[in-house]
Amino acid sequence: MSEIKSIAVIGAGVMGAGIAAHFANAGVKVHLIDVPSKGLFNKNAIAIEAIEKILKTDPAPLMHKEYAKLIIPGNTDDLEKISECDWVIEAIVEKKDIKQDLYKKLAKVCGAHTIFSSNTSTIPLKDLMEGMDSSFQERFLITHFFNPPRYMRLLELVKGPKTKSEIYDRVCHFADRSLGKVTVDCHDSPGFIANRIGTFWIQYAFKMAIDHAITVEEADAVLGKPLGIPKTGVFALMDLVGLDLMPLIGKSMNHSLPETDLYRKTYFEPEFIHTLIAEGYTGRKGKGGFYRIQKEGDKKVKQSLDLQTGAYKISQKPRLACLDVSKEGPKRFLSYADKGGRYGLEVISKVLWYAASLLGEVADSIEAIDQAMKLGYNWKFGPFELMDRIGVDFLVGEWEKAGLCVPAIATMALKNQGFYKTENGVLMILTPSGSYVAQHRKEGQILLSDVKRRSKPLLKNASACVWDLGDGVLCFEFISKMNAIDGEIFKLLLETIELVKKEYKALVIHNEGSNFSVGANIGLALFAVNLGIWPQIEDLVATGQKTYKALKYAPFPVIGAPSGMALGGGCEVLLHCDAIQAHSELYMGLVEVGVGLVPAWGGCKEMLTRWLSASKRPGGAMVALSKVFEMIGTAKVAKSAREARDYLFLREHDSITMNKDWVLTDAKAKALDLAENYVVPEEIQISLPGAMARVAMTMAVKGFVKAGKATAYDEVVSTKLAEVLSGGDTDITDKQKEDDILALERAAFMSLIKRRETLDRIEHTLTTGKPLRN
Amino acid sequence: MPTYKAPLRDIQFVMKEMIGTSFIKDLEGHEDFSDDIFDAVVTEAARFCETVLFPINQGGDAEGCSIQDGVVKTPSGFKEAYHSFVESGWPSLSCDPAYGGQGLPDTVAAFTEEMVCSANLSFGLYPGLTRGAYNLLSAHGTQHQKETYLSHLTDATWGGTMCLTEPHCGTDLGLLRTKAIPEEDESYLISGTKIFISSGEHDLTENIIHFVIARTPEAPQGIKGISLFLVPKFMVNDDGSLGKRNGVVCASIEHKMGIKASSTCVMNFDNAKGYLVGELYHGVSNMFVMMNNERLGVGNQGLGLGEVAYQNALAYARDRLQGRSLKGAKYPEKSADPIIVHPDIRRMLLTMKAYNEGNRMFSGWVASHIDKSHKAKTKQERQDADDFVQLMTPIVKAFMTDCGFEIANHGIQIMGGHGYIKEYGMEQYVRDARISQIYEGTNGIQALDLLGRKVGANMGRSLRQFFHPVLAFIEKNQTNPALQEFLPSLAKAVTRMQQATSYAAMKGLSNPDEVGAASTDYLKMFALTIHAYLWAWAVNVAKDKINGPEKLFYEGKLQTARFFYHKLLPQTSGLFGAIMAGSKSVMDLDDAAFGPF
Repeated sequence: MSEIKSIAVIGAGVMGAGIAAHFANAGVKVHLIDVPSKGLFNKNAIAIEAIEKILKTDPAPLMHKEYAKLIIPGNTDDLEKISECDWVIEAIVEKKDIKQDLYKKLAKVCGAHTIFSSNTSTIPLKDLMEGMDSSFQERFLITHFFNPPRYMRLLELVKGPKTKSEIYDRVCHFADRSLGKVTVDCHDSPGFIANRIGTFWIQYAFKMAIDHAITVEEADAVLGKPLGIPKTGVFALMDLVGLDLMPLIGKSMNHSLPETDLYRKTYFEPEFIHTLIAEGYTGRKGKGGFYRIQKEGDKKVKQSLDLQTGAYKISQKPRLACLDVSKEGPKRFLSYADKGGRYGLEVISKVLWYAASLLGEVADSIEAIDQAMKLGYNWKFGPFELMDRIGVDFLVGEWEKAGLCVPAIATMALKNQGFYKTENGVLMILTPSGSYVAQHRKEGQILLSDVKRRSKPLLKNASACVWDLGDGVLCFEFISKMNAIDGEIFKLLLETIELVKKEYKALVIHNEGSNFSVGANIGLALFAVNLGIWPQIEDLVATGQKTYKALKYAPFPVIGAPSGMALGGGCEVLLHCDAIQAHSELYMGLVEVGVGLVPAWGGCKEMLTRWLSASKRPGGAMVALSKVFEMIGTAKVAKSAREARDYLFLREHDSITMNKDWVLTDAKAKALDLAENYVVPEEIQISLPGAMARVAMTMAVKGFVKAGKATAYDEVVSTKLAEVLSGGDTDITDKQKEDDILALERAAFMSLIKRRETLDRIEHTLTTGKPLRN
Repeated sequence: MPTYKAPLRDIQFVMKEMIGTSFIKDLEGHEDFSDDIFDAVVTEAARFCETVLFPINQGGDAEGCSIQDGVVKTPSGFKEAYHSFVESGWPSLSCDPAYGGQGLPDTVAAFTEEMVCSANLSFGLYPGLTRGAYNLLSAHGTQHQKETYLSHLTDATWGGTMCLTEPHCGTDLGLLRTKAIPEEDESYLISGTKIFISSGEHDLTENIIHFVIARTPEAPQGIKGISLFLVPKFMVNDDGSLGKRNGVVCASIEHKMGIKASSTCVMNFDNAKGYLVGELYHGVSNMFVMMNNERLGVGNQGLGLGEVAYQNALAYARDRLQGRSLKGAKYPEKSADPIIVHPDIRRMLLTMKAYNEGNRMFSGWVASHIDKSHKAKTKQERQDADDFVQLMTPIVKAFMTDCGFEIANHGIQIMGGHGYIKEYGMEQYVRDARISQIYEGTNGIQALDLLGRKVGANMGRSLRQFFHPVLAFIEKNQTNPALQEFLPSLAKAVTRMQQATSYAAMKGLSNPDEVGAASTDYLKMFALTIHAYLWAWAVNVAKDKINGPEKLFYEGKLQTARFFYHKLLPQTSGLFGAIMAGSKSVMDLDDAAFGPF
């Protein structure tokens, strides 16, 4: 399979620019092309502006600013520049004629090897290919990205009747390994999978909210967390997507779907939506939408739209009894006979019926449909998984009551053991023929969830598990709430070290949570502090230091394989690994000062030794120290694995995997690689400048306090940090061992944790999720 | 006939020598407070309780309340005493001057409350409930409601009630059925039956203002759908005069074990006009805002009864001649030694004394924090004080009332058959004390509130307000010679409290039954640890004065502290063991296996 080295994206709108940025994230040279600007000096102005906007957008489309260099602006008058591209993606206006004109030009300019794809979300492939050459059709497919392309993992693919398998497979492989996407095979039908079901869900929820006299707050509470759907539900989701888009999408769907489709049968356009859009209420990007924030004096008041009157009123926390029983499972929740339960059941039973009835029309497998909803709409469970959870028999009963014809797949699920089942440790999926097939995995791919399904943990306690990955490699998994680090994790890590020493070759630290670990269990720590159990707290600090150090000097390689956030104690464990195989979406940082503490599980020590011994670093010890002081003192978080390299959280020999689903596979390979002739690292001794440096650092902080950039208590915390980083009572001629720095970390931590301001910060962070600036 | 003398010397000790009155002057609006004011108030309260309220206590119990055609008559003398109580201004002691109150701190009122409860608990309930109604309306009433009712509740010329309980629901208020139908004029029509309503109907005041919780037609199920309404017995005209009778009547009064002079009513509401107090559906949470004061008040009932029981048992033990000391006659001139010489009698008397004095310190300590939580100058001080009060409230309520009952029973035991008959008055204290363990949230509920709610709230923030000062006290007094015999035991009790708290909180996360099974033991262990700290504090205050003119008083403090540390604090060892044994043995027995067989 030949590689894809350069690509072009045509159309520098939000989607085109975002797609281009993500190819740059993959390290690919990408041309970003739009129409030539008229009368301006630079014909590439539109693309240039788009690139500038990319650099300003938050959350950032690029994983590192330097990737912007990979995006080359261009215009459609100079299409020759892209003649050598391996792949051209069209993301222009949703008009068939304009698209086809472009395709014809491209067919002339590009080489015979070039792949073409469209990011269309509404025009069927068969319409786009009408009248196009066979040779173009062979190389054409639909690649439907979701917004924002860097962060949304779903890529819907549609293959035409003439599309060559080899081309399709190349795109799949590249999307999987280099872009980190999950590709879902879709049929050529309107809205493909996710938007087909998603728009029906939104529309029906909207319509039923009016019929059932449900408020937008109630609707979002019902069609949210209890069903594993993001808390934005439907109305806050529409605000997020943009109210102005809703009638457009609706019309387009309504136009392209057959009359018998439930979407068309329930189609409606509430009058006040147009009024809202006209008045600038286009959602979060505008003045507000179903929700808005109004200023009353210096207070901000959240208001929501009254669906019955179209006027705003103050938002009320929904008080529905069904929400109180939602913990008892979705069936109990949906069968609760208050208006919330009735509404939820009405909407969800229809949405699930719709999804089930679309099998065969939008895709061949229920897994494809589930994947699309999970990755395209961030549902925790896909429609079929949700049906298994609710109970197919219950739903079938509801459909029959509503006079709906029960979809064939549901009848089959009813006869068998649901849509999914586990057999001999393998997840089996119901097919339209009524038989089950094993879940498909790519060659060589190792996923922890698969390992867990087919085996038992070697070691386990309340906060962690150890799994055998085969070939002498073990995997250490955090299972505590939010993967928070606690004493149980240390206990099991120490046991694991002994186990690997005796019988195995290497250890990988990995989990499939949305975050690797957001740090220490500070709730537990705060409770102990409030009780005044100082010895227990100091012991926890010392045990963490001892455990992480034991990892670092274990006689076998330890590989950290994180994805998502790795903060505080979760960052520190990675700093003690021999190597890291990181998911590209890694958010790593030592954020302890945010809660009024300093890193004390070796975080200060590791950053000091890394920066002092970094070979490419300019300047003397003081420059390195200031860098570490600034990073820890301002709780800097690297916003990608690539950025983590800049901070030396990741070192040169650490690697990055674009797809979360391949992280463990790559980490295991790395572990086996390092296990050959493994040499235990030698302990580094460092020299620190002592009082001189401490004074310099404290002076700098005082400046920030004066300028209003730091609070009085920031100064207290920073002063403690400066004590640690300057080496305490030492001077540059002294050699300090790791344990010396660890003792300083511990002392600084223990003095800060007894301060009221620190406890206020911890409590505030735990209760609001936001830092307290006291 | 029983006797009562208000424990003024001990009240002074707690307020002036331990807690100190200086904190009051730092409170908003109390800058002019002085020790003289304090002395004058408690001395006068003592006189009133001893000479007016105490003499009608036994008679009130014997006569009880009676009802005829919906009209309740209180026992002889109550009406006169009540008028005198109102005229002397006792009800308005710590009320807001804006509505005719005297604006004294709650701490002072807490001590007078104790004396009232000692002298005549049944009587105290009438103004007590009115005070609860005052607190509720001050916190949640509209300006108009306050102007209409508050001054009458302040001087207690109108009474107040709390109408919560219904025939089928007490602790679980979510089940209640009383309806409130909205009217066009923003009032509501309330219909339903409320039971166990203290002071629901009586002949002491011109009007009675009922605070009723009820459900509106659209209300959500359960506790979150309950709202609070004000229902006057007589409607109040625009000019403030009393109008026509409202649709609320007393159907009957309960025949009870104790507090017989307190009228406990079944109240029927039949389309009675009511007004919403606070926000719709916030009825229960609004009600709970004032629970801290109420529950401290009930705790003081335990202390008050404990004190009067102790005084009478002590008098009897000094007077009653039976047998000789085990070591030979102590009073050879008498026909026998007074029973106070016997170790087991002394054990009981000292238990009574230690718990009473410990509870007086405890009550004063908590009351001072209630004042700080409302009126301290900085937000942080108010917050800290409120955390402390939240944590201590269930302990105050449950432990002090359990003590009251236990002490009154010791009183009977000391008096033998004379305690069991009515003449000496002791058996009344046992009967009166029993209700305080039940109402305002049973003591079991208090324990659950403590361990299930208070301890874990805000990741244990309120615990900080107890543990940090106590740990600092231990640290600071490491070399204090007067405390050497106490500190190791105190430190051990505190360490065990830390362990038990961590254990129960951790276990409770995965199994709520662990909390439920440990809670009563936990509350008692916590209370004993608090008493241990307070006794160490008291010794530290008394140590320099033992050789002064009040030798007996201060010597009594030191010796009682020793008794507490040697004979009462060790209960924490057993409680600790029981807590750490977990919930299994409590929960494993099949419901049917309880028998009977």
